[in-house]
Amino acid sequence: MDEHLTEGYSEPCKQCGAVSWALSDGCQFFCRNCHNVIEKTQDVVDVSSFILNNKISSISSSSRKKTRREWMVCEGFQFILKLQAEALVGLGVCPQFKTDVLWDFWKRYLQITRQAYTRSPVNSFTNTVVSSEPESAFLSEASDQTEPMSASGHSTDGRSSVCSGSLDAACYLSAKERKSRQLMNMPRTLALCHLALLWLREAITLADLLRLVSRRLIPYINVYEEFPEEMQFYGRDAIIFRVETIPSYRKVHGEALQMAEILQLPAFPPVTSDCLLHPALLSLRYLMEVNLPDELHSLVCRVIEKSAMGKESFLTFNPSKPKSTFLFYDLQAAALIIVTMKLLFKLDDHVACLYVLAGSKMFSLKAWYMTVHPALEHARQREELFEARRPWKSKKVLIPAMKHKAVVLKRRRVVEQLQSTFHTLTGSVPEQQSSSPSSFQFLWGQEEDSDGPSLHHKHLNCMLEKRGKEKWLVNQAYWHTDLKRCHKKDCRDHYSELKHSLPRMYVWLLGLFSFLLRVSEAQVHKEVVEVERRFFGTPAYSLIILNSKKKKKGLKIYPAFVSLLRALEMSGC
Amino acid sequence: MDDIEAELGISRSVGNEDFSDSSEDERVARKIRPPILLHSSTAQARAKESGFHESSRLCLKAIRDAMLHHHWQEAAQYLSAYSQTLEDTTVNKQSLACEIIWRLGTEILQHHPNSRLEDFNALYEQMKNSGVKNYAKICLEHSFHLLLNGHIYDAKRQLSVAASWRYGKQSVPQSLDLKLIHAYCGFLDYVIWHMKKSSVSEAEDNSSNREMHSYFRQASVTLQEIIAQPGVWDPFVLSYVDMLEFYNDQEEALKVLQNYAYNKDYPSNPNAHVYLYQFLKRHEAPPAKLISILKVLHHLVPSHELMQEYCYLLVNSVVPGHLEESLPVVFNLLDYPSWKNDLDTWNCLLTVMTVFKRKGLQHLIANEWKQRKDFWLTMHYRAYHGRKDSELNRELLLVKAKVAKLLGEHGIYYNKFSTEVWGPYNVEDKKRKIV
Repeated sequence: MDEHLTEGYSEPCKQCGAVSWALSDGCQFFCRNCHNVIEKTQDVVDVSSFILNNKISSISSSSRKKTRREWMVCEGFQFILKLQAEALVGLGVCPQFKTDVLWDFWKRYLQITRQAYTRSPVNSFTNTVVSSEPESAFLSEASDQTEPMSASGHSTDGRSSVCSGSLDAACYLSAKERKSRQLMNMPRTLALCHLALLWLREAITLADLLRLVSRRLIPYINVYEEFPEEMQFYGRDAIIFRVETIPSYRKVHGEALQMAEILQLPAFPPVTSDCLLHPALLSLRYLMEVNLPDELHSLVCRVIEKSAMGKESFLTFNPSKPKSTFLFYDLQAAALIIVTMKLLFKLDDHVACLYVLAGSKMFSLKAWYMTVHPALEHARQREELFEARRPWKSKKVLIPAMKHKAVVLKRRRVVEQLQSTFHTLTGSVPEQQSSSPSSFQFLWGQEEDSDGPSLHHKHLNCMLEKRGKEKWLVNQAYWHTDLKRCHKKDCRDHYSELKHSLPRMYVWLLGLFSFLLRVSEAQVHKEVVEVERRFFGTPAYSLIILNSKKKKKGLKIYPAFVSLLRALEMSGC
Repeated sequence: MDDIEAELGISRSVGNEDFSDSSEDERVARKIRPPILLHSSTAQARAKESGFHESSRLCLKAIRDAMLHHHWQEAAQYLSAYSQTLEDTTVNKQSLACEIIWRLGTEILQHHPNSRLEDFNALYEQMKNSGVKNYAKICLEHSFHLLLNGHIYDAKRQLSVAASWRYGKQSVPQSLDLKLIHAYCGFLDYVIWHMKKSSVSEAEDNSSNREMHSYFRQASVTLQEIIAQPGVWDPFVLSYVDMLEFYNDQEEALKVLQNYAYNKDYPSNPNAHVYLYQFLKRHEAPPAKLISILKVLHHLVPSHELMQEYCYLLVNSVVPGHLEESLPVVFNLLDYPSWKNDLDTWNCLLTVMTVFKRKGLQHLIANEWKQRKDFWLTMHYRAYHGRKDSELNRELLLVKAKVAKLLGEHGIYYNKFSTEVWGPYNVEDKKRKIV
């Protein structure tokens, strides 16, 4: 098997006289008969020399020991989950996350989908019937494969198949089979992590999780690089483990919901008011993030009270109950803040920004906007450039099919040489700045690298006025879009239709939170509408006057908006 | 309107007569995309685009911005990140990536302060071997680059490797590229021959002489082949003729040049006639012959710089009838704005007109002038020109004024400038004085 590397050397061995050479671990020639090691070593192929017309046609691998191990795809996923759990624990999650919760979920998953921990596993090779019929049925389903399915796809003696390193990668390729057997995929690893974090009521929300993945603090892209050497990885495995997109918030949330159903989980531990996922505390965190004054927090808590969103029964996820909703905690907190701001400032582009005195201790919406907007634009640009430079392809080459091996290896070589050319040109290798993990994306204060002055200490007295013993809101009007629930099943949202008619300040605010949470503006708007529904208490819009002991909020629909709302209602479903 | 539509690449619909439902303008307006937005369609995000493709799109945008702002360091960094698109599994994107990296990479290397020849070589070698479509083009560009940096032998070696390359069925653009490669092989042989010739001129070194001759043979074989095919081969023709002249093979050179100039299969090329004229002038051909060549050139390019020589040839010619032809030639020349401020041309006109006056051919002058009077006065004799000429070019001022007086234009404002500058000097006055 080493002939191509040792060919050309046909001297007889000094000890036994045979001509039968092979390469050892240290790239030294040794005689296969008598294991006599000689001084000749393999010529090192130097890929960094730029000789004209140099065509390198083979890459030698240094390790000759190839202890192959048969492995199943779920083992690969287990390995990935382990790496992700370790990363999360390293970031500050309690160790029970890895040892107890995530591991239990995974074991449960394997048991329920009958891949392990069961008496009759699906993938057992003694059970599969190697007859032509089911195989041809499988082949006809998987009509997009051009590679001929050799009979070793389900070999009776358990050898790994020729088209993939793992034993059962072929099962993962048919969409129907994936769905029927509820097989694992890459976004589901994140979904499992999210469920486990939720179980432990950790502070890392789904948006944070995805941001950590994007910053490469949690292994997700190219995590197969870290598979051990024994797990041979090629062929169809590539399609299962290769990642070319970081899944969106909505996708991971959907997968988490599905996984919760598959795992048949009981009610999650209750989300109490001291837990960091509770909207009261989460909204405080986001208020600090967007540089809003701390005094706003008490108003947010009032809104939470009024809309009954602080109750444990509402916040806790219970998969066993049929109509339980799986909440978006972070989106909810953002929506609560937006509703509070709408109550305070109206945000309809018509109210003049009054109360602006330079250097005063009063909070002014305009000053806040002028501080946050440039920081937001800078952050957006930085994020875009970071995204542009993100390396997706790994050094460990993925070979989807054997016939493409040479081409794929050659391309990898070309890419590496190109990159080294340009790196020597620029003088230094620009490392992707490994950002220290921080829950905050903006820094407000007087430091050198802060994004702007901090407005946390500003007062909101200008927005509240005293009438007798109580404090009333100065702003006496509120507007909202159509609150009627849509009955169509696949209706996502109407944001794209509404966007041009909404006030620009509101849209900007949606943009701010959508950037922070890495979701679309439509999703934030949808959540705002949800909060408003609960706040006003009825599905349809109407005039409501709410009383409270400390603050009286008189609400009326501003006359100019009545026609707008009627129009929205007509265009709605 | 037709030209605009052709430029914007819109095909005319066949059934254009039906105007009942929508006007033609509307239909055309619907088809024409505003030209400002034509380039930006690639920068929009596509729905359902993978993260990898999104990264590549943003990276390309960043490279483009860096290059337009001349931030070469940044551009190089982004290009090295972009090179991961070469591993894209989508086929059409991958082949595009090869071309993009080649073109952008060479551009960045050309402008970057730290780039060396080795970097260029490495880039060209890499991109040549990835993807088949661009092999010939990249080879050509590589050898041009080497040639411009003085590495003639390397360039030659590159081209000879490229010339022997074959991959499957040759497409039409590929065959054109290969023809060019072949032609430049011959041209490089000539360049090497030229280098050897200048170094060998004194010494009678046999071996280097023989080398020189062998290069000549190689070059002439290749160039002959190439020039035999219809096309525009200016540098190749010149080099071949140069070599033939060195070896004193005048007839062959003449034959080649005449074929190049007069063969109907070749695209009409004024340079061909110029080269033929220059060759014949070098070898002291009779004026009649020169005139015949320049006549063809005059038909092709009336504003050519050789027209002055043509004019003088005609004036000095003994053949009757040539003299009369010279006036329209020089008038035509001055119809073109490129000769407006050229002193020699105006002097030529003055000379020709004085000769005509002497021989009593004023009516011809009057004929020519009648055709041109209105636009010449605006083009050459406005007050603005007078001011400019009096400041910048006083001799021109004088010559133009003399011409004007010969044409009979005495009252124009222009003449006042010349009297201011030169005094009341006047051709007519001089004559009156004599008389």
